[in-house]
Amino acid sequence: MATILPLRLLLALLLLLPPALPAPHERGLIFNLDIGELCLQSAQCKSGCCHRNSGLSLARCAPRAAEFQECSPKSLYGVYYKCPCENGLTCDADKSIVGSITNSNFGLCKDPLSSDKSR
Amino acid sequence: MLGIWILALFLLNAAEGEEVCFDRLGCFSDDLPWSGSTERPVHKLPWDPKKIDIHFLLYTRENPENSQEIDSTDLSTIDSSNFNTSRITRFIVHGFVDNGEENWLSDMCKRMLSVEDVNCICVNWKRGARCQYTQASNNVRVVGAEIAYFVNVLMEKYEYSPADVHIIGHSLGAHVAGEAGKRRPGIGRITGLDPAQPYFQGTPIEVRLDKSDADFVDVIHTDSAPTIPNLGFGMSPAVGHIDFYPNGGKEMPGCAKNPVSQIVDLDGIWEGTRDFVACNHLRSYKYYSDSIIYPDGFLGYSCASYELFQSGSCFPCPREGCPNMGHYADKFKDKNKYNFQKFYLNTGEAKDFPLWRYKVTVTLSGKKKVKGYINIALYGNDGNTRQHQIFKGTLKPSNTYTSFIDAEVNVGTVTKVKFLWNNNMINPTFPKLGAATITVQVGQNGTEFRFCGSEKVREDVLQTLTAC
Repeated sequence: MATILPLRLLLALLLLLPPALPAPHERGLIFNLDIGELCLQSAQCKSGCCHRNSGLSLARCAPRAAEFQECSPKSLYGVYYKCPCENGLTCDADKSIVGSITNSNFGLCKDPLSSDKSR
Repeated sequence: MLGIWILALFLLNAAEGEEVCFDRLGCFSDDLPWSGSTERPVHKLPWDPKKIDIHFLLYTRENPENSQEIDSTDLSTIDSSNFNTSRITRFIVHGFVDNGEENWLSDMCKRMLSVEDVNCICVNWKRGARCQYTQASNNVRVVGAEIAYFVNVLMEKYEYSPADVHIIGHSLGAHVAGEAGKRRPGIGRITGLDPAQPYFQGTPIEVRLDKSDADFVDVIHTDSAPTIPNLGFGMSPAVGHIDFYPNGGKEMPGCAKNPVSQIVDLDGIWEGTRDFVACNHLRSYKYYSDSIIYPDGFLGYSCASYELFQSGSCFPCPREGCPNMGHYADKFKDKNKYNFQKFYLNTGEAKDFPLWRYKVTVTLSGKKKVKGYINIALYGNDGNTRQHQIFKGTLKPSNTYTSFIDAEVNVGTVTKVKFLWNNNMINPTFPKLGAATITVQVGQNGTEFRFCGSEKVREDVLQTLTAC
């Protein structure tokens, strides 16, 4: 983690400095970020998911998971390896303590209503 | 980079009426229409082919990873290579300041080799492309002549038909292909990937890529805003037999990211820097590359304008079908009835780029009108889509809302639809809203599916509608 920290600081600086640049409205530099833009926290993203592939890779805003896609439940970390589900869906994941500490409690997005009826 | 570019555009040179001649390729003058017009004010003669240093790098199924260099003046290099006259041949030509050994060219070859057995030749003319823009746009003529010479050699020495040749050119490379096609009539196909605008747009057809340069010319426009002042690098008028304008042809989705996010790209800093300089312009070859592995993911809808396409007036595809943008555009070769027809479509914002267009019509049921948005997700035999917003505003029961969605998945036969509404506000009366009927029309073939629902749901609850 020690190696990531300076990188993160640099990134945070880069994200905070450019207010001098004229930012076109609708999309922002720190909040309201589009999909594919670098983020540190899910709250920054329009989609509500700041996603990274591994502990060392940079995080970017990504769309939330659709039904039958892999997901993780909402966590306090603010950055996800698998995005949370879209509205109306629940992430059917193992909610044990180990998973939520290592941020690796993955599951599948399911519709709580349709699974009761059809299966 | 930008500075050099603009400088190059305006630097005027006084030399006039000169001519240079090279072995095999003939003479090149700087008279009209090559120089001295308002479109091409600077007089420049093309460089010697030795100085441009053109290389042909061959990839085949026998050597998909490592290229073999072949030379039109030394037949032994062709004989000893994996070049096979029973296959079709595709040339890929890069553009300004680019390099024939750049990954996108060999990656495109690899993708082609995964779907078909071809001779894929990357043309490297980086020495001639890494100079002033005015010089590079004249070097185009020599590179085009070299490719034409190469095809002539194949014709004479190997009885290879030029109809089996396809030249894919990006930016200045598109005009290289045009020049080659003009010198060697009868070339089967030329694909122009965002042909360069400065020094070519508005010039006579002998200078630039045109539909007369090959039996079939298809063009993808991704950066067609004017160079001054918008810095668009690609041509806007339709110049081929069919011209595609993905996302309207001017601004590509995924190209308006903040500079840090753009440069620090998923595919590395180099790819990110390239996109930072010319994201829209480079999208053209990315779409083409994706189209090789997604044959039905880039359908072009014939339309008078992008605005009309977006509003849905050109939906669905006509009975004869829509042309596929990119690699499979030649399937539409004989179906095109009009001159300079424009086709529109939308693409994704990052790879993978293909999208499938559907028309969705929703009739609401409920008691009270509420403010909010409606989301729809499609479910079919081949998968399901994300939720796509189809309306935002006041939702009135028994009103009908129509919208078009570009789904990231081709769901195949639509089997059910899910409906969700939300107003992002806690409403103490807990209003309920539902969809009475939803019809889904597939853009590709116009097939309609109808779904009904009787229940009503609270916000953020999915309602499933089944076929009826």
